[in-house]
Amino acid sequence: MKSKAKKDVLNEEQKLKWIGKSVKRIDGPEKVTGEQKYKTDYSYSNMVWGKVLRAKYPFAKIKSIDTVKAEAHPDVICVLTYKDIPGFNGFGIVTPDQPVLCEDVVRCTADAVALVAAETVEAADEALDLIEVDYEVLEPVTDVENAMLQGAPKLHKDGNIHSHVTIKNGDIDAGFDEADYIFEHTFYSPRQMHAFIETEGGWGRMEEDGSLVIECPGQYGHRDKLQIARALALNPERIHVYSSPNGGGFGGKDEITVQIYLALLAMNTGGRPVKIHLSREESVIAGIKRHPFKVTVKTGAKKDGTLVANKVRAVADTGAYASLGGAVIALAIEHASGPYTIPNVDMEGFCVYTNNGIAGAFRGFGVNQVCVGIETHIDMLAEKTGLDPIEIRKKNAYKQGDISSLGHVVKSSVGTIETLDKAAACDLWKNRDYYKNQVSEPWKKRGVAVATSFHGVGMGIGTPDYGAATIELLQDGKFKVGVAIEEIGTGNGTVYAQVAAECLKCDINRIVVVQGDTKQTLDSGTISASRSTYTGGRAIATAAPNMINLLTEEAANLLGVSVSEIELAYDRLVDAHDHTRFVTYEEIYESLHDKHRSKRVEGHFYLPKEKEELKNSGGAPHHLYGYMTHVVLVEVDTLTGQTDVIKVVAIPDVGKVLNPQGLEGQTEGGAVMGIGYTLYEDVLIEDGYHKTKNFTDYIIPTIRETPEIETIPVESNEESGPFGAKGIAEVVMIPIIPAIMSAIYDATGARVYHLPATPERVYQAIQESKPQSLISR
Amino acid sequence: MKTIRFTVNGNEVAVSSPPTKPLLDVLREELDLTGSKECCGKGECGSCTVMINGSSVCSCLVLVGQVENETVITAEGVGLAQNMDVLQQAFIDEGATQCGYCTPGFIVSAKSFLNQIEHVPTEEEVKTALGGNLCRCTGYTKIIKAVQSAAKLSITQQGVKN
Repeated sequence: MKSKAKKDVLNEEQKLKWIGKSVKRIDGPEKVTGEQKYKTDYSYSNMVWGKVLRAKYPFAKIKSIDTVKAEAHPDVICVLTYKDIPGFNGFGIVTPDQPVLCEDVVRCTADAVALVAAETVEAADEALDLIEVDYEVLEPVTDVENAMLQGAPKLHKDGNIHSHVTIKNGDIDAGFDEADYIFEHTFYSPRQMHAFIETEGGWGRMEEDGSLVIECPGQYGHRDKLQIARALALNPERIHVYSSPNGGGFGGKDEITVQIYLALLAMNTGGRPVKIHLSREESVIAGIKRHPFKVTVKTGAKKDGTLVANKVRAVADTGAYASLGGAVIALAIEHASGPYTIPNVDMEGFCVYTNNGIAGAFRGFGVNQVCVGIETHIDMLAEKTGLDPIEIRKKNAYKQGDISSLGHVVKSSVGTIETLDKAAACDLWKNRDYYKNQVSEPWKKRGVAVATSFHGVGMGIGTPDYGAATIELLQDGKFKVGVAIEEIGTGNGTVYAQVAAECLKCDINRIVVVQGDTKQTLDSGTISASRSTYTGGRAIATAAPNMINLLTEEAANLLGVSVSEIELAYDRLVDAHDHTRFVTYEEIYESLHDKHRSKRVEGHFYLPKEKEELKNSGGAPHHLYGYMTHVVLVEVDTLTGQTDVIKVVAIPDVGKVLNPQGLEGQTEGGAVMGIGYTLYEDVLIEDGYHKTKNFTDYIIPTIRETPEIETIPVESNEESGPFGAKGIAEVVMIPIIPAIMSAIYDATGARVYHLPATPERVYQAIQESKPQSLISR
Repeated sequence: MKTIRFTVNGNEVAVSSPPTKPLLDVLREELDLTGSKECCGKGECGSCTVMINGSSVCSCLVLVGQVENETVITAEGVGLAQNMDVLQQAFIDEGATQCGYCTPGFIVSAKSFLNQIEHVPTEEEVKTALGGNLCRCTGYTKIIKAVQSAAKLSITQQGVKN
């Protein structure tokens, strides 16, 4: 039976026309010619410019705000403060603790105090200077550990600890008692910036019918709509959000950026459209960042390589507001013991308020920061025991049906061991001694290392998570596929077209995809959490049979046969007994149209969830995870400490590859973003003020730093996914982080625990790793 | 305000503008050529790259007065969807565009570079030529391949013509 089932799958795969193929991006021509219009590329003839007055201090009481002089500026249309907010003065995806416009206190320099609309951008800037805000400056809270102390100044009324999550399993003390080796280290991670190339911006405008239109890139237009409605006390039905395409997001456009400012201004400009487009400098200050973590990890293992205990304490700096900070620390703790079966774990995480800007969602969502602990300790164990680092990981990795470190049975597909097998077999790993000897200069040293990790797909327990798609037959015989989930760069629209064409058995050119449009599409959740291919794909695959039913019924009518006698052929419907008799989609449209019948169907999908939430975990475990192994080769300049990543082998467990080129786009982009995180990137904030201003002093990898990247996919066939696929957009940047850290050690014998591993830190670590006699000499 | 004449994508234009207005803003606001983007506003990212007399420059750092009587080419001038340049087609074929916001800048930089050479560039040469353009999505690997495959194709086509 089993072999027959497998054979059927194979036959099915051979028949696939679009799935698994490197279908070219459907939005490619517009993008490469510059014809693609992003939201700030639109123009309206009677427009006005909007600007935001940000807080002058990271922590201060507002004593008064005087807008009289600004309002008197001849080119100013309106100046708005908290008094002008008709509804709730706050936003935030989970806890709306961030004021739209501050009333009595500012908590970071990202805070907005007033809005201006003016005839020119220069006039708007002048008006900002004319607004007089009287502050009483307070001492900023800038260190997470100090922020947690009893006597620390409180940023919010409930104190500075926004959330505290724990996961415990087994008996941690007994675990350490049976350990032959114990490793304990503290790791610090950077405040990474999303550095999307398109800064935040867009349009707010009133339609003639009194509805409000917001054209602004975002990662969940339907939710943006609700947050706008809450602040403006509007009926959400009277707000239309157009949020696609995004010029990059990576989580940085998940939260509200400027949508509510646009909405407020648009309602105060006498019907004139208002545009805000943040400069990079303002984006650096105002935009959310990755949470910097302090993570202490203690790992116990036996001589034979069995991991027996893992204790983790992670503290995340969420800055002045929660945004998704609570969810980030929860996901971090869920993943902090790796994709392993460690029987005794004791993990806790704190999400803490400070006056250091604002942190929120970012690709990897907390896992980047914690994976370094367990992975580094496994490499240390390998060195101590002489065991192979890949074998240790395989020995401890859970398989589908096993019990994870969290204590739950993992029911979905797990590809960890296969990714590790492919790592062991890849050229870079097998021939690592050869590659390590090919140094480019005598004072440079090379190292090779491996790491593995995982990342939840979709939301955890307790958070709504659903997909919805519409398919509409058009007059020209095309299908309009509507999925609200935005195009953000990943190419999900192309995958949606592939899934639709495959399910409807038609040419892909017949598929028109609509995304990020709250008027035309149903709420389908976020473009985040590695969920969009999986969720949108499943929603389309659920809608498609409804469309086929609609087409079949009408074809049966037109051909005068019964429904069971209609076959869905490629690009047409035929009479099963006589293939020369067929109807086209255009004919079906015309027939339905004449009968005033709907040409649109829907498909809905709820992501599978685990039934039992781990107590105090904040939503763990996930039902579904993507898994990934990285092998890297680095070269370290021992004279300067500069590290270059030379080669990367990326081995993701994707369930099923839907588009090989799109997958490589993710693995390559993720690897390079992981390199930036590990080696260069950090937004520096001192005393609450950003020292980092622009790309002059925030260094992201350029084309010169890009290594050779090879992608070797593993297909574990996830039964719940579209054609077996699952999400990978975040995990692609995760294991590369500890892999680079261990490769630096392999090269130099020096470990860096504080990321980014800048030349200064690596150089210092090399000096400290040398025997004392050498240093004193 | 001054009337400034120059050529954009083969068309002679006259714009009425303060001569100190950045060329990027004139292209975007006066001429509706929005392929060129502002990302950093200070010449760090290359998203606003245009060719002036064949050389690639950041149009956010050029004042419109400086291009009087000069020839400017933007990504739209390299080719539109109806008649794409081989380079643009190669970007699609190789999967070298993702969010696409940086792509017009890359297209112009790469086109300017390919115009100056008559061979298939090495990876190192491509990296040097495009070192001033930032991309956050792709990891650049496919951009390198696209530039090389466009060069290959151009040379083959040239060979056929000759």
